[in-house]
Amino acid sequence: MFRDLWLRMRALFRRRSVETELDDELRFHLERQVEKYVKGGLSREEATRRARMEFGGVEQVKEEYRDARGVSPIETLTRDVRYGLRTLRSNPGFSVVAILTLALGIGANTAIFSVIDSVLLRPLPYADPASLVMVWESNSQQANPHNTVSPPDFLDWDSRNSVFSGMAGLFDQRTNLTGNGAPQEVALQDVTANFFAVLGVNPVLGAGFSAENGQPGHDDVVILSHGFWKEHFAGDSSIIGKTVTLNGHPLIVVGVAPQGFDWFIKDSSLTGAKPQMWTPWIIPKTFHDRKNVGRFMTVVARLKPGATVQQARVQMNTIAAQIAQEYPDFNGNWGANVVPVREQISGDLRPALWILFGAVGFVLLVACANVSSLLLARAAAREREVAIRTAVGASRWRIAFQLLTESVLLAVIGGSIGVGLAVWGTNALLAASPRNLLDLRSVSIDMRILSFAAGSTLLAGLIFGFLPSFISAHASVAETLKEGGRGSSAGKGRGMARSAFVVLQMCLALVLLAGSGLLIRSFIRLVGVDPGFDSSHLLTFKVTLPGLKYGTDAKCQAFFRELLPRLSHLPGVRSVTMNSFPPFSGLGAATGVRLLSQPPRSLKDLPVAEVRVVGPSYFSTMGIPLRAGRTFSEQELAEARHVAIINQGFVDKYLSGVNPLGQKAVIYMKSNEDSENTPSEIIGVVGDVRQMGLDTPGEPTVYWPHPELVYSGMTILVRTSNDPLGLVSAARNELQQMDPEQPMAAVATMGQLLGDSLARSRFTMLLLAIFAAIALTLASIGIYGVIAYGVTQRTQEFGIRIALGAEGRDVLRLVLGQGTRLVLLGIGLGVVLALTLGRFLSTLLYGISPTDPLTFGAVALLLALVALVACYVPARRATRVDLIETLRYE
Amino acid sequence: MPRIDLPQGTLDLLILRTLALEPQHGWAISERIQQISSDVLRVQQGSLYPALHRLERRGWIKARWGTSENNRRAKFYELTKTGRRQLEVEKDAWDKLTAAVAQVLGTA
Repeated sequence: MFRDLWLRMRALFRRRSVETELDDELRFHLERQVEKYVKGGLSREEATRRARMEFGGVEQVKEEYRDARGVSPIETLTRDVRYGLRTLRSNPGFSVVAILTLALGIGANTAIFSVIDSVLLRPLPYADPASLVMVWESNSQQANPHNTVSPPDFLDWDSRNSVFSGMAGLFDQRTNLTGNGAPQEVALQDVTANFFAVLGVNPVLGAGFSAENGQPGHDDVVILSHGFWKEHFAGDSSIIGKTVTLNGHPLIVVGVAPQGFDWFIKDSSLTGAKPQMWTPWIIPKTFHDRKNVGRFMTVVARLKPGATVQQARVQMNTIAAQIAQEYPDFNGNWGANVVPVREQISGDLRPALWILFGAVGFVLLVACANVSSLLLARAAAREREVAIRTAVGASRWRIAFQLLTESVLLAVIGGSIGVGLAVWGTNALLAASPRNLLDLRSVSIDMRILSFAAGSTLLAGLIFGFLPSFISAHASVAETLKEGGRGSSAGKGRGMARSAFVVLQMCLALVLLAGSGLLIRSFIRLVGVDPGFDSSHLLTFKVTLPGLKYGTDAKCQAFFRELLPRLSHLPGVRSVTMNSFPPFSGLGAATGVRLLSQPPRSLKDLPVAEVRVVGPSYFSTMGIPLRAGRTFSEQELAEARHVAIINQGFVDKYLSGVNPLGQKAVIYMKSNEDSENTPSEIIGVVGDVRQMGLDTPGEPTVYWPHPELVYSGMTILVRTSNDPLGLVSAARNELQQMDPEQPMAAVATMGQLLGDSLARSRFTMLLLAIFAAIALTLASIGIYGVIAYGVTQRTQEFGIRIALGAEGRDVLRLVLGQGTRLVLLGIGLGVVLALTLGRFLSTLLYGISPTDPLTFGAVALLLALVALVACYVPARRATRVDLIETLRYE
Repeated sequence: MPRIDLPQGTLDLLILRTLALEPQHGWAISERIQQISSDVLRVQQGSLYPALHRLERRGWIKARWGTSENNRRAKFYELTKTGRRQLEVEKDAWDKLTAAVAQVLGTA
C-alpha cells in the first residue's frame, strides 16, 4: 500500500529520473539481445536490426509501462502540455491567429461580465438587500410607474401595512455649505430618522440618528458620506460632535456613513446627484393634510422576515384602494407600486446589459468556431503524425487527449491575454460611458471576474477542441498512410465540419450585424429628433439661494433680477434667462389644471400639465417658436400678474378646436385650495420641447414667469457666441460679487446634457457595433480559410480541368459556388435567428421595428459581400493553376 | 517453431516462478522462460516490462539496480514475502485449472 504510494509519488516528482531509469532498463535489454545474436553468429548490424524488430514499438512499451506504473493522468498531462507548447511554437502563424481570436472573444466577454456583475449581480451595500423594496405611487391615467409619494400617503401606508418591518421616506435637495473654505453647494437627503435602520446600515463613526432625532428640537444633526468626510474633512476621526453649517443652520455631526454607501434613485432624485450628507426630516403637521402637499418623497421599505414582494404588492394595492376611496379628490386613480431595490437601481440599463452579454457570447462562439476551423485545417497537415503515433501504439484516447490539451493550452494563453484586454476594455468602457450611466467606482476586475474568465476559457477550449480532436483520433491509420495523407475519410469529416463552422459563423455574424444595424438606425433617428429648442452655445448652471439668508420671495426674486442683467453684460453673452427645471435635467413638476371654460370636475380628473417657471426672454433665448399670442411683458416678469403661456401639446390635448388665448386656468401648484390660487390667463402658445429626452415627446406644459411662483433654486441659461464653458469663471465672478457665499452648481453645457440623455443608446449601439465588427472579421477569416484550403486540396483537379480546356471563369465559378452556398445558408439561418431574437431588442429601439426589412437587407448584403470577397481571393488563385506545377506538386 | 500466446494472467505466474529461484533482470527473465519452455513460450518486451512494474506496484516483487553478469548496470527484480505467498496461491490455482481442463479434454 505505502510502497504503491511511494512509487507513484516518486514517479510524479522525479519524473525525469524515473523516465531515465526506464530508458536505461530497456536499452540494457536491447543490448543483451544484440549480444546474444552476435554470439549466435550474426553480424552486429544484422543482430541490431533483428533485436529492434523483435522489440516492437518502444513508444508502446513505454506507454504501457507508464499505464502499469499508474501515475499516467497527471504525468501525461504535463507531458502533453510540454508537447503542446512545442507544437504551438513550431506553428507561430497559426498560434498567433488562434490566440488573438480567443483573446478578443474572452476579453470582450470578461469586460462585459465585469460590468454586469457590478450592476446586476453584486450584493448592494445594505443589510439583506433582497428584502428591501421601493414603494411608489402610480396613476392609472399616466405612464410613470415610479411617481414620487405624498407625505400623507406615506404616513397612511406606514401605519396600515403589516408586511413591512420598517418604512422610510426621504427627498433630495441641494444646500449651501459655508464655514469650511469656499462656499459650496452640497447634495443632501432629508430622511426620516429611521432611514439608516431600515437599510440596515451602521455608521463607521459615531452613533448615527437615534429615534429622538425624529422629534422636533432634536433634529439639528447630520451624517456625512464617507467620500465627503474624506475629501472635505481629511478623514478627521474627531469630527463627531463638531458642527457644520448648512444654509446658515449649525448642525452637529453624529455619524460618517460606511465607504461605498449611498442612496441614489434616478427616478426620484430632485438633484440628480448622489447625496453627500443626510439630515433627519420631521414631516411637518401641515403635511398630514392632503390639501397642503404634493407628491415628492422617495419611499423605501424592508419586508418582514418571510414576507414576499408579491404579498407586499397585494397588501399595498389594497391599502392604496382604501385611501383612494377615502380621499377621492387626491387619491382617485392613484395606486401603489412595489419594486425590489435591485431592480430599481439597475433600472433601464438591465435589458441593454443582458443583450450585450448575449451578443458578446455570440462573439466568443464565432471565435471558437474560427479556432476550431483552424485546428481542423492544421489537423489535416498533422494527419501523418497522428497516424504514425497510432501505428507505434498510442491509443485513440491518448491522441484525442493530447489534441484536446493543445486546444485548452491555446485557450489558456488566449484567455490570459483576454483578461489583460478586459482590464483595458473595462476602463475604456467606463471612460466611454458618460457620467451617471455606470458607477465608476464599483466596476473592477476581481476574483469573481477572474473565475468567470477562467471558466469561459476552459469551456471555450473544450468546445473548439472537441470536434477536431475527435475526428483526428478516429482517422483510419491504414487509409491515411496509404493515401499519403490526402483525401482520407477523416479529411472528408473535417471538410464537413469546417463547412458547418462557416455556416455557424455566418449565422451568428448576421445576428450581431442585424442587432447593431437596428441600434444604429434607431440612434440616427433619435439624434435627428428636433428637441424643440436650439441646444448649441448654451451654458447652464444652478443657483440655489439658502432660506435663512433669502427667506422671502421678494429677496429671491430681487437676487435673480439683479444677477441676470449682470450676466448679460459679460462679453460673449448674447442673452440670459432661467428656468426652474431646464430641458434634459431629468427634473420637473406637474400638477392638475382647471380650465374655467370647461365644466367643473373633481381634482383627480383634471388635465395634468408640467409647470415650469421661467425668467425674461426665455423663449427667444432658447429658440422656442411662439405659435400664437405673445410672450411675457416686462411688468409680468417683475410682479405676479396671473398670466401663463402654454405649449402646443397642451392645446392639442386639452383645448383642441378652441382659441386658447384669453382662457383662464387654475394651476394647483401652491396648494389644492381654490381660495389660494388665482386663475392665470393664457396669453401665448409656444412650440413643444422634449424636456425629458429626445425619445420622449413633450408633455402638456404651462410656463409661468418667476414672480408667479418664486423658486429659490433656478437654473441659469446663458446663450453665448463662442464656447459656453469659456464663460464659467466670468459668470462665477459676477455671482460671487453679489454674494461671496453663493456657490454655482451643476455647471454644464446644454450639449453635454443632451449627450448624457443619449448616453445609454450611444453606449449600447457602440458596443454592439464593435462586437458585430469583430464577428464579421472573424467570420470572413473563417470562410477565407475554408475556401483557401479547399483550393489547395483540389489544385490537381483544377490543373487538369484547365488543361482540358476549362476557362479560368469556370474554375472561378466552381470555387465561388461552393463559398456562396455556405454564405447563403449561414445568412438564411442568421435572418431566422435574428428575427426570433429581435423582440429582446425592441425595448432599446426608437422609431424602428425590430424586423425592419431595410436593416436586414442591408446587413445581409454587407455580410454576403465581405464573405464573397474573402472567397474570391483564393478562388482567383485557383484559376492561375499551372498543370506542370500541379503534377510536380504531386 | 511453434509459439503459443500466453493466456491472460499466465505471464505473472511465470515471472514469479522464475524469480523464485534468484533475483534476475528483465532480459534474463525472458531468456529463462524461453529456455525452460524449450522455445515454446516467448515473452514480448512489450508485455514483460509492464508486467514487471505491475507486480512491483502490487508489492510482490521489488527492484534494485545492480551489476549484470557482463558487468553492466541492470535493474534486478526479486520476490518479496507477499510475492512468495502469491506464487503459492497462483500455482495452486493454475494446477487446479490445468487439471480440470485436462480432465474435460480427456473425457469429452
